[in-house]
Amino acid sequence: MSPRREKLTSPQTRIALARGNRPAQHLLPIPGPVDTEAARRLFRRQRRTAVRTVALLSLLLFGMSGAFALWPQLTVLRVSGVPVSWALLVVAVYPLLFLLALWHVRSAERAEEDAAARGEGAAGKGPTEP
Amino acid sequence: MAIGLVLVTSLVIGVYGVRAARSTSDFLVASRRVSPNWNAMAIAGEYLSAASVLGLSGLLLKNGLGTMWYAVGFCAGYVAVVALVAGPMRRSGAFTVPDFAEYRLGAPRLRKLCGCVVLVIMLLYLVPQFKGAGVVLALVSGTPYWVGVVLAGIVVSGSIAAGGMRSATYVQAFHYVVKLLFIAIPAVYLVAHAGADVRAQALHPEWGTHFSDTTPVEFTVDTRFGLDEPVEVTAPGGGRLELAAGDHTVPEGTVYVFPQGSAVPHPAGLPDLGGERWSTPLLNSGGFPLFETWSTLLAITLGCMGLPHVIMRFHTSPTARTARRVAVGVIALLGLFYLFPAVYGLLGRVLTPQLVLLQGTDTVAVVLPAQAVPGSAGTVLTALVAAGAFGAFLSTSSGLLLALAGGLSHDLFQGSVPRLRLAVAVGACVAVLLALPAEQIDINVLVVWAFTVAASTFCPLLVLGIWWRRLTLPGAAAGLSVGGVTATGAVGWSILLPTPDGWMTVLLAQPAAWTIPLAFTTMVVVSRLTRPPDWAEHAVLRLHSP
Repeated sequence: MSPRREKLTSPQTRIALARGNRPAQHLLPIPGPVDTEAARRLFRRQRRTAVRTVALLSLLLFGMSGAFALWPQLTVLRVSGVPVSWALLVVAVYPLLFLLALWHVRSAERAEEDAAARGEGAAGKGPTEP
Repeated sequence: MAIGLVLVTSLVIGVYGVRAARSTSDFLVASRRVSPNWNAMAIAGEYLSAASVLGLSGLLLKNGLGTMWYAVGFCAGYVAVVALVAGPMRRSGAFTVPDFAEYRLGAPRLRKLCGCVVLVIMLLYLVPQFKGAGVVLALVSGTPYWVGVVLAGIVVSGSIAAGGMRSATYVQAFHYVVKLLFIAIPAVYLVAHAGADVRAQALHPEWGTHFSDTTPVEFTVDTRFGLDEPVEVTAPGGGRLELAAGDHTVPEGTVYVFPQGSAVPHPAGLPDLGGERWSTPLLNSGGFPLFETWSTLLAITLGCMGLPHVIMRFHTSPTARTARRVAVGVIALLGLFYLFPAVYGLLGRVLTPQLVLLQGTDTVAVVLPAQAVPGSAGTVLTALVAAGAFGAFLSTSSGLLLALAGGLSHDLFQGSVPRLRLAVAVGACVAVLLALPAEQIDINVLVVWAFTVAASTFCPLLVLGIWWRRLTLPGAAAGLSVGGVTATGAVGWSILLPTPDGWMTVLLAQPAAWTIPLAFTTMVVVSRLTRPPDWAEHAVLRLHSP
């Protein structure tokens, strides 16, 4: 633990604190992106990735529970003594969730890298993390 | 003993951070120098509440395999967080959901509304934590339930008011390890020690559930139960009593000693232990298993991202990229942990079925080791699990209390460290007072209630705010109000008031399937009717620009 610690306050909080109980005079000015079209493209790509992940997640959760409801045999059927549906629900689902999240992060990061590479090619300006 | 050790260690780590806490924001969000691994562990440690450690195994014992969907939902919630909110929330620079609302929609008044929702969610979530602490302490040390609850309130608010979140990060990372080890080691030992016979019984519910030993059962409340076959029990005076097959009602205070090998009676209103309804892995309390399972899954998976203490944690990551990666780490840690509660539930059906009659299934993880392994080894294991459970309670409730206090002092009033401390004390008092009458309500019922409210309020606000540029202030406010009122009201009604039979019961007890779409629809429709400001698109795009 380092002795010197930085104080972090979100811009909204700083404004809210400075404002006190007086009503808002003006809002935080939000700077527009350098290249609006590129930012829109990246946004749409990220949204597609997010929709894909959420769709797969729903498929996994609703599909699995739906399968248990449709085929009660899954509880009777056993693999080395353990009912198949139990094994799926108690053990197998977690690695699947992990892989799904991992895949999403990979895709999202690749989208950001592609956008940054394209931005560098166009404007010669590297990405900056806010 | 073990509980004491966990307590002392947490307090030491907690007090260690005191000197560092200088300003409100310092206090609220730990320094960003917290490393990603510590951070993931702290998030997991905070997230694994008494509901996970005690509630899940108890519910499995009582209601069957379907309750494992709760665990899956708790973990899947983080997949939704990774996909939808982790990165953009970090980029918004907002610490809390109210902060985000102000960033995205630019209205301080919405901040107050969000602050109120935070209070409701956090209180609903804190009550079951205190209940868990009260139950465990009562069981281990024999103190009355209320002593444990009050003591827990004092310990948690004390350690937070002294240290804040800086220390909480390390305390909570430490608690993840404690929880994992203290639930995993006894579980592995129990499975190994139980023997092939018990293991086979645990996996074959269709063989029936029998008392594994001569078992005295003291009914602490009036209980109705059914018997499939006649059984001869011993009354405390030594007299023998023949109970015929069929329904029986015993008054409070009755003690029956069931002979070894006799079938376990079926308490009224619960699925037969090991029966078909019990072993089918779907949630089924009202006769509509698939609807109930789906509604609960929706509530938990989407509710996770709306939990204020979950969102707050992502600001301890330096960048959006790390925030996402931390969330993936959390999924791995949670998945590992959730392998174990099922062990207690499954073994509990074979070894401690009487807990179902006593309405004490929440204690199965603590009672089971002593029952299964007689002698000092069993005592040690029980102490381990109890300490793990207490750790679960401590870490979760300190995170929750901090978010609650943050909501009170930061969003509803002006923040300052002394006020935050006061807010911590007030929040703890209210939660303790609410927890005192909640002894009979299942821990998980309360936790899912909190998730349902979060999923019906903050989830639509965050998802639409991040991914849809046309969200407007009136839309968000209308959706928040509609979702919050319907979700809180529906579950509250189903717990406190009698409900009509059939579909109504399920729709009120598991309202997520209609309250979440209702909240989303309200936000979209009202937003469509109003105009977003010109800068709305910039605000959205900035959330996604690296």
